[in-house]
Amino acid sequence: MTRREALAWLAALGAVPLGCREFESSSVALRLANWGGAGDDSDYYRLVKQIYREFEAAHPGVILKVEGVPGSQEYVTKVLLDHVAGAMPDVMALDASSGAVFIDNGTLMDLAPFVEKDKAFSLGDYFPNVVDIARRDKAIYAIPTDFTPMVVYCNAAHFREAGVAVPTGRWSFDDFLSAAQRLTRQGRYGFEFANWMPGWVMFLWNNGSDVLSPDGSRATGILDGPRSVEAVQYLADLVLKHRVAPSLSQAAATGVDLFATGKASMKVVGHWYLASLAAFKDLDPHEIVVVELPTNLPQSVTVMYEAGQAISKNCRHPEVAWEFLKFWASQGVQSRYNQSGIAVCARKDVAEASLKGEPSKVAREEAFLRIVPSARSPWGASVEGYDRVEEFGQKAMDDILKNGVPVQAALSKAAAAIDKEFALR
Amino acid sequence: MKRSGTPYFFIAPALLHLVVFGFLPIMFALWVSFFDWKILKGTMPFVGLGKYQELMNDPGFGNALLNSAKYALVSVPTGMAVAVLVALLASDQIRAAGLFRTVYYIPAVCSTVAISMLWIYVYLPENGLINATTALFGLKSVDFLNEQGWAMPALAFMSVWVGLGPRMIIYVAGILGIPPSLYEAAELDGARGWRRFWSVTWPMLAPTNLFVLVTGTIAAFQLFTPVYMMTRGGPLDSTDVLGYHIYVESWKKFHVSNASAQSFLLLVVIGVLAAVQFKLAKRQLEGYSAG
Repeated sequence: MTRREALAWLAALGAVPLGCREFESSSVALRLANWGGAGDDSDYYRLVKQIYREFEAAHPGVILKVEGVPGSQEYVTKVLLDHVAGAMPDVMALDASSGAVFIDNGTLMDLAPFVEKDKAFSLGDYFPNVVDIARRDKAIYAIPTDFTPMVVYCNAAHFREAGVAVPTGRWSFDDFLSAAQRLTRQGRYGFEFANWMPGWVMFLWNNGSDVLSPDGSRATGILDGPRSVEAVQYLADLVLKHRVAPSLSQAAATGVDLFATGKASMKVVGHWYLASLAAFKDLDPHEIVVVELPTNLPQSVTVMYEAGQAISKNCRHPEVAWEFLKFWASQGVQSRYNQSGIAVCARKDVAEASLKGEPSKVAREEAFLRIVPSARSPWGASVEGYDRVEEFGQKAMDDILKNGVPVQAALSKAAAAIDKEFALR
Repeated sequence: MKRSGTPYFFIAPALLHLVVFGFLPIMFALWVSFFDWKILKGTMPFVGLGKYQELMNDPGFGNALLNSAKYALVSVPTGMAVAVLVALLASDQIRAAGLFRTVYYIPAVCSTVAISMLWIYVYLPENGLINATTALFGLKSVDFLNEQGWAMPALAFMSVWVGLGPRMIIYVAGILGIPPSLYEAAELDGARGWRRFWSVTWPMLAPTNLFVLVTGTIAAFQLFTPVYMMTRGGPLDSTDVLGYHIYVESWKKFHVSNASAQSFLLLVVIGVLAAVQFKLAKRQLEGYSAG
């Protein structure tokens, strides 16, 4: 090799990193945090990955670096620690139940200026109370993707067999108990109860009570107030006195989903359950009817669990992140994303477009949409650390159902513990 | 004799690792425990010993301390007894003794997460290995991990199985280190079987027992992964042990100063327990002679 050739080689080698730097400077890497593990290969995650690739194709130079975090609580912890470490992802999926801890600690960017400036985007395309979940005065911290109100799933075949009419509108706690009693028979429960507070807190609401005071600052006098005690006693009686629902250990001992396997006739759950029911071949999908929660109020009230996309406050490329949020929330993407059946699309046009096809499916989707205007956002959207409140609530219910602790005593203990926890914040 | 710097060069990487990833974080945690650090809000007022005083009146911490003590009291002596028994079998000149030792050691080299997942299936209420077996004899199904009276014993039982390999290897080494002349003398005196074990083997295992007891107790008080994977401290806080309690305090509630103070109290508890165990074993060790 001559000296000239050697110099040419050195120059070429030197150009490689220079060329790389050139590429790096023209590209934008956007970090996205979402739920889900790296190994997940379901149809749903394949679709999500496909949508990510389409965004990259439509935005040359933008690379999406997706950070999947398994587990809902681990997700919150990890992203919050990322924030503390100054390494929060640019865009994150934000669950309404944990919205407060992110919004109230200033981790997210106010999206209102983007919304006002961007004429191609309109919040009017979304259900207003779904948008309000991440709103603080005029500030908007997330663009909603989808949501689900909690409803009662009924097995219509069981109702026919028992000679009970499937409710079509408002029904009271007494109506619900009466139906559950008539539906209960050998080897089958009228109602499948699970001690998961997000699934039973609405019974307090529907008895004119709540978990926390209206400003979300205290639980004593509310969670252990007479109407809350009455509602929790009603739930406990379903299991312990009327035996229309299995005990917690009986339910665990079966090791199966009682409603999906025809061993229970009613269950309180959200829209996502429809997607999982498809795997149970013995359950005729035409027999699944969803109805509103029983209530002692003039109108039933339920909770609305929602997910959206938010931009972190220290995002390095807010304009690109906003482009991603718009793309993700667009009608084209949401029409496909919504086919997973996990939730109701937050866009009115896409949600209404799902009211097509097989009549029982349309009836179910209509039932979900009918409930939307009266649905509340979860406490976690406005009260930081509400997951701890739910832990205390679940422990109280465990104490009542497993240890026979009187309802008033269990709720008073839980309320005092919640207030103590709040005092430490 | 002039000492060269070479030995220090060789220990430097390990020392550096220990200082950076061990000593400094411990000192940082001690420092943090004197403040009320709101990690999400970024405020950090000095509170002196305030966090330690809070712990004295915290029933949750007291419950966690009690649960850890219960776990240690059950899992450590049981684990030691089973390990001695297996070591006695595996130290005899039986065929394939090496194979047995390897098989018993396998759980110790497996991921605790994977082992916990395996035991969740073992403990499942209806289809789990234990309940499916007991059902053959008409026994009622037990939801081991969700019943208050069963969850802690279930964790302790699992720990006996997981810790068997390392403990057994240590006991095998201890048993093989006992001079044969002692057994010969015992035999001349007519000692056989149980008497031989109780008068020769057991006293000669005193240093081994002390080592296994101290390390086992320390490990028991640091229990975390199986609780995180299998019970999350439940049911009704019955398995909320110190390691898990500190984790929740720090990374669920974000009370990092409280968690730091609890970590230091845990350090004190472990230190006191180890000192007591050394003190109690001192007399036995004074009479010990392997030579």
